[in-house]
Amino acid sequence: MNGYGGHILRVNLSNGTITKEPTPAEVVRGYLGGRGLGAYLLWTEVPQGADPLGPDNKLFISTGPLSGTLFPGAGKMDFATKSPLTGGYAGASMGGMLTAEIKYAGYDSIILEGISPKPVYLYIDDDTVELRHAEAYWGMGSFALEKKLKDELGEEFQIATIGPAGENLIKYACINHDFGRQAGRGGVGTVMGAKKLKAIAVRGSGGIPIANVAEFTRVAKEAYRACKEAEGFEAWTRYGTMIITSWCDENGALPTRNFQSGSFEQGPNIYAPVFRDKIVVTDKGCFGCPTPCGKYSYSKKHDIYVEGPEYETNGMLGSDLGIGDIEDIARANQLCDELGLDTISTGGAIAWAMECYEKGILDREQTGGLDLRFGNAEAVFPLIERIARRKGWLGNLLAEGVKRAAAEVGQGSEKWAVHVKGMEQSAYDTHDATSMLLAYMTTDVGAHHNRAWAITYDIAVGRDKVTPEKAAKVIELQHIRPLMDCLGCCRLQWVELGLSLDYYAPAMTALTGVEYSWDDLLHISERVWNLTRMIWVREVEGFGREWDAPPPRFVEEPAVGGVTDGKFTPPEAAQQMLDFYYQQRGWRKNGIPTRETLGRLGLAELVGA
Amino acid sequence: MRLYADSARCSGCRACLVACSLHLFGENNPKKAALAIVSHFPTPGTFEVRVCTQCGDCAAACPVDAIHQNEKGAYYVEPEGCTLCMACVDACPEGVVFTRPDVDYVWECDLCGECVEVCGPGVLWIAD
Amino acid sequence: MGVTLIPVGFLKEYTAGQDRLELAAGLTVAEMLEMVGIPPALVAVVMRDGELVSKDYQPQEGQTIKVIAIMGGG
Repeated sequence: MNGYGGHILRVNLSNGTITKEPTPAEVVRGYLGGRGLGAYLLWTEVPQGADPLGPDNKLFISTGPLSGTLFPGAGKMDFATKSPLTGGYAGASMGGMLTAEIKYAGYDSIILEGISPKPVYLYIDDDTVELRHAEAYWGMGSFALEKKLKDELGEEFQIATIGPAGENLIKYACINHDFGRQAGRGGVGTVMGAKKLKAIAVRGSGGIPIANVAEFTRVAKEAYRACKEAEGFEAWTRYGTMIITSWCDENGALPTRNFQSGSFEQGPNIYAPVFRDKIVVTDKGCFGCPTPCGKYSYSKKHDIYVEGPEYETNGMLGSDLGIGDIEDIARANQLCDELGLDTISTGGAIAWAMECYEKGILDREQTGGLDLRFGNAEAVFPLIERIARRKGWLGNLLAEGVKRAAAEVGQGSEKWAVHVKGMEQSAYDTHDATSMLLAYMTTDVGAHHNRAWAITYDIAVGRDKVTPEKAAKVIELQHIRPLMDCLGCCRLQWVELGLSLDYYAPAMTALTGVEYSWDDLLHISERVWNLTRMIWVREVEGFGREWDAPPPRFVEEPAVGGVTDGKFTPPEAAQQMLDFYYQQRGWRKNGIPTRETLGRLGLAELVGA
Repeated sequence: MRLYADSARCSGCRACLVACSLHLFGENNPKKAALAIVSHFPTPGTFEVRVCTQCGDCAAACPVDAIHQNEKGAYYVEPEGCTLCMACVDACPEGVVFTRPDVDYVWECDLCGECVEVCGPGVLWIAD
Repeated sequence: MGVTLIPVGFLKEYTAGQDRLELAAGLTVAEMLEMVGIPPALVAVVMRDGELVSKDYQPQEGQTIKVIAIMGGG
């Protein structure tokens, strides 16, 4: 099948059976691959009510048709599962080299089922697929294990690992790869740890069949040239996403001290030029990417290497914790990476705990002796370790995520648990940016920005405006951005460099031999969006509008200081945005897709509407 | 004329390898390219790009005179003449003469320039 | 001579699609933006001949200033 690896690998960890099945053409026709394939398989294969950490949940690791091909940003893959953090859909995107290697080995998806009685790792060398003993590796950090496996198996192998956090079932454990890339959010690493799968090692020697080689190469080379000639190329490739830190700070979007403010008085110390000068060693990119955002860094202060920090980590382990030292942020980043923790959720959980401590709700005994004031990096480093190992009362509490932690502690702390659907919000303060707030409310994994990023749009049309056009903008972004996740490529060439979207359908047509228009691709993306919504409907009792609720912080409390000082979004405004959103999505007022919408998208039969 | 590489600029993306394989074999397979990227991670955290310098050692080593220069001056292996003796592979100081089990000859860089075209950070260029 | 201002991408919507404007020297970047109708709050990155500068920077004759809005993060 042109554009695809051709097979789905099914690995039953309970009994060790491994089977190869042909990738069903009609499924990829309707769902493309990557996030789309993962959502489809999650719906069809995981029974309703499955325990996310139990044997009935599965982890779906999916490449996309563009993955591993000659196309800008062809290095992305999707990890889909029922989330132990939220109880709903989790789909995490990861860059690096692994997606290409899996395609070359001939696979479009790897399905991990059951639970292994003992720690194992999955070894794939083209057709040779084995589960190998991993007891000796259990407990190892992610960099350490990746290095060890590359030394043992060969540099050519691409490695993904979980760290101690995944082993200890921290609810937001991540999967690590390529010395610095992660499938970060929603606890995809937790599921891998519950299955006792410590690592995946892949080598693939095959090529990816292309329907029309000359045409695909022509389109691809044009796209590469367009990337290289983009006006923003220099700024973007020199600094990566860190470039936005100063602008976010100036515009009240930089989360500061648990989202109490959108501006940080120490901001300039963590802007991109300081970062580049002080610690960056190498530009590091994903497969096929001409515009590398990754920055591999070395901190002299802490004597550590880390790929990062990137903007999210700069915000969530930096300004959100009141920390304004780029080397301390790098160290916190490195600890999370090595231990296998999502930096965003870790930052969100610690920030909540810091606010509790400063308000006198947590005392020094509960913090295990840590002086958990905002800005105290020396308390953050040991706390990250304790979370990853569930050490001490607080470490164990925060390991459950900020929603459960606040429910346990009470005393009003739910008000400053900044999450949606149980996922900690990523690094954009939304006191005064109604499109972005709506985006966080409606993203299908929880409060994550990757589906829709709309802050510039908010500032351009009026930050606090509440209009159907704003909802339309969020919907438009929620179709385009995750489409890239279905194609197996990166969105940042379009998002940051303005690469024309006109390249994608011709590339897909030449690659697969199937006629795709841009509208065809968007339609599939909308289908996937509604499918992931239905996963929530199926899995969460009483799911609906209340689950799209904004964090109280942004609708009840004004921001303190900075450009958005005194501002917040009235709760009625947030609800009005939701009304506009549901109307335009073809969902009922309770947030459930209508039968008509599901029919229009070809989902009626699948979801039994 | 030869290909040059400034490794300090390389971000390890491998687009060059894929462009090369598409040119040489009409296949999307970076394992069938005529240049190589070596990753040095986690320390010191750098990429090393190895390219053909057109030194001619491969041609000198070939016992059956199957390696000649094309119109660009690039050394190339005549597939029909190659006996897979591996003398050229061993002789190459850069390790950029390649073969693999599913190909019955060795191959090397023919100076097509496709890699240069797709390299974002500008690692590669062709000059005298 | 003057200063060349290049609005990138989405910012061109404020300059009727013009992607190169020639302006007299003597203004800061922020003042230039006000003058051509680009809201300074939307400009995230200012590059002068490949170097990052702030909106307070006052370009000299012959310099090229690129202004860029952010459309995403992450």
